[in-house]
Formats: sequence, C-alpha cells, structure tokens
Amino acid sequence: MNFDLSVINDNWSYLLFGRTADGEIGGLLLTILMSLSAGLLALIFGILTAVISWRFQGWTRRLLYSGAEFIRSIPLILVIFWLYFLLPRFLGRNISGVTTVILSIAWFSAASVMHATLSGIEALSFGQVEAGLASGMSYWQVLRHILLPQAVPNLIPSYVGLFVALIKDTSLALVVNVPELTTVANQVNSRTQIYPAEIFLFIGVIYFVICTVLSELPRVLLKRSNQRLKFANGI
Amino acid sequence: MNSFYFDWSGVLTGSPAAWLVAGLVNTILITLTGTVVASLLAIVLLLGRTSSANYARYPVQAIIMAFRNTPLLVQLFFWYFAVYPALPEWFRDWVIADHWFSPLPSGFRCLSPEFVCACLGLSWFTGAFLAEELRAGLKAVPAAQSEAALTQGFSHWKTFRYILLPQAMRNAWQPIVGQYLNLMKLSSLASGIGFAEIIYSTREIESFNAHAIEAYAVGTLLYLILGLLMGQLFVFFGPGQIKRNTVAARVASSGWLRRLSFLS
Repeated sequence: MNFDLSVINDNWSYLLFGRTADGEIGGLLLTILMSLSAGLLALIFGILTAVISWRFQGWTRRLLYSGAEFIRSIPLILVIFWLYFLLPRFLGRNISGVTTVILSIAWFSAASVMHATLSGIEALSFGQVEAGLASGMSYWQVLRHILLPQAVPNLIPSYVGLFVALIKDTSLALVVNVPELTTVANQVNSRTQIYPAEIFLFIGVIYFVICTVLSELPRVLLKRSNQRLKFANGI
Repeated sequence: MNSFYFDWSGVLTGSPAAWLVAGLVNTILITLTGTVVASLLAIVLLLGRTSSANYARYPVQAIIMAFRNTPLLVQLFFWYFAVYPALPEWFRDWVIADHWFSPLPSGFRCLSPEFVCACLGLSWFTGAFLAEELRAGLKAVPAAQSEAALTQGFSHWKTFRYILLPQAMRNAWQPIVGQYLNLMKLSSLASGIGFAEIIYSTREIESFNAHAIEAYAVGTLLYLILGLLMGQLFVFFGPGQIKRNTVAARVASSGWLRRLSFLS
C-alpha cells in the first residue's frame, strides 16, 4: 500500500470543519460539539435519575431501571432511528438530525451514568445516611452535602470512560446523515474513491488521540494527586 | 399529535418478511462467527499483552489501544474500503462465488465481502475489549496459583490453559458476557457497509413500502429477544458460582458418617 497524503492535504479543512464557513457546522468540530452537549445532558440526567431512584426505591426505581435496561439492550442505531421518526411526530415540527443524535446518545449514555452513580452512592456506608438523618438533615441535604461530594470524585474515572464511549458513538450520526467527522470522511472517500486507507487512518488517528488522551487523563491526574498527598504526608 | 396507523401485514408478509428472516439469520451468523473469532483473537492478544518480552508486549498493547480507542464504524469502513481490496484475489473470488450455502431467501447472501469485513471488524474490536477484561480477571488470580502449577511440572502453556485462564474467565465472566452481548448489538453497525442484517432489512422495508415504524418495532423486538436468549445461554453455560460439588468440598462439609462411606 503506498500512501498518498495529498488527499489529506486537499481535504483536511473539510474533514476538520465541514462547511462551517458557510454556516453549517461540520467535521471534527461538530463531533466535539455533539460529544460535549450529549455528555453534559447524559451527566445531568444520569445523576438526576440516580438520585431519584436512590430516594424513591420501589416502583419508581424499578421503572427507571427497566427504562435503562431497555435502552441498553437495543442497538444505539435503533434508538437514533426511533427518535428520528417519532420526535417530529410528537412535537409536530421538524427536528434537526444533530438534535436527534444528541438526544439519542444522551439518553443511551444517561442509563450508564445512572447505574455508575447509583453504585457509587450505595458504595458509601449507610451509617453516613443514618448519621445525617439523625442530625436533623433531610434526605436531600444528606445527598447534597454528604453523599454526592464523596461519591462524585470517585466516579470521575468511570464518567470519563463513559464519555470516551460516547465520543465513539457520535460516529453513528452517519446513519441520519449528520455531517460529523465519520460522515464527512465517508463523503470524501466516495468522492475520491481511491484513497480509503489514507482517509480512514487519518480520522482514526484523530479519534484515537482524543480518546486516548481523555482515558489516560484520570490515571495521570490520580497519580499526581497521590504523589502530592504522599509529599504532604511526608512519605 | 398525529395518530398512527399500523399495518403489520406490510412488514410480516411477502418479501418484507423474507428480508427480516434473512436479516435475522445474518445477524445470528455474524454473532456466532464474531464470538468465536473474537475469543480466539482475545486469547492471542492476552498472551502477547501479558508476555514478559517487551518486543511482544508493547506492540500488542498498541494494537489493543488502537482498536479500543477508535469508533467501530471507522474500523469497519477501513476494513471494507482499504483492507478488503488488498486481500488476495483467489480469496475474494471464493467469497463472491456461488456456494450452495450462500443464497438466503429474498436474494440476500450470507457469505459476502460485507460479511467478511463485518466479521473482521467486530472480532478485532471485541477481541481487544475481551483481552483487557481477561487481563483484569487474570490480575485477580493469586500468583501462587501459577507458581504451584509450575512446580507441579506444568508447562507455561498448560499453566495458562488449565490453571490461569479458567480462573480469569470466572473472575471476569460478567463483563465478558457484556462484551459478547455488545458484539451482537454492534453487528447492527455493519449495515453501514451494506451487510444485510436486521437493520439493513428494516431500511429496505422503509424504502420499499414506507412502513418504517412497524419495521423498527419488529427489529427492536428481534434484538431484545436475541439479547435475552444470549444472556440466558451465557449464564447457563457460564462458570457461575463456585460449585460446592467437588470431592474436597463434599468431604469438608460432610459429617463423619459420609466421610466413612466416602473412604470405603
């Protein structure tokens, strides 16, 4: 295989930015923006549902669990198709493909965030809840001031892992023709025909760098904070 | 809100039904082959990843990272557009030749270039994840286990095969099952390169008679059933909890009478 990097040279700005200059955000920029917004939504809804199912055990929790179970047991591609067809019908107006994909991925990932957060909260000893309640705090205050501040820092590595998976999932936006990185690469490949290896290796490297840096980050940070802790303790 | 008119006969009769059956067959086929190939790859990758030789460990580590940290869809495109045309011609001829097993009802095929690429993509992707799960399971096996096996005269390979791997699999069984289920769900991405599985069939129906919602409902149901069946199978054939039925356990738990009858 000989590599001919001229195809990258000719198309790199289309791959990175799509038609952003013409007002339609695309390429890597769209991938990043979609990941960030879907990640934020998934974090908010995941923690919210975890808190609700922690506070209201019984039917509420069972309902949330089965919702999460359902969404995790069908392929993400189907979730995207469902929302793509049903959302405009329910809302009575057109929804852009970008919004559909963001909502699908956020919903899909929120289920995992919920499970992770709930197990993080429940890993803390129940005596803390009892102590908080005995001191006259409400359940919400216990959660807000005692449980979440302890649980969330421990959960950061698993949140980052879920975010990396989410970034990779944004490539599925291809199926509803949203012009993110994978879609524009596919377009360039169909147009040029003879440079598939160069194009897909190029965007593979982009995804690889983003995902590797992100997934190694918590480990490096943790190591550094441990070292600082050791240093502070004089070890 | 608009009302929906469901017309199931547009999905469950005639050629749409045949497409769905063919899609289901292809999804099951790719799941089975992918599972087998991914497991074999995972063991090879695991051996390299845990090897003490740097020239084996570092490249394998890089391969695992590359497959884990890029989207499967991009990998599938790479296999399909870049690698497959570079494969030897006799192989490609064999893939597209008419075999007795390749035609499915309704003109779909089971052995096709798309099948080969989907199999490659899914196996390498899942294999890399499986290797890491197994490595985590292997870490939890006490070092004394392999030391004991080596002093008993087991070779390195036999220690791995009979002592370490079974325990690693038992330790990591839950995440391993999760990876296999994921392989089944991710096979839906192979519709992106035109592999005729369930999602491909539903899209065919959508463009054939516009019964998109019904087709997606059937597709969703098929995936739910497949996932449920696979989960049950893996629990049934899995290592499960540590069995209390070994001779040592029976001796330890039995009273003196049973112990006497065991000795006699």
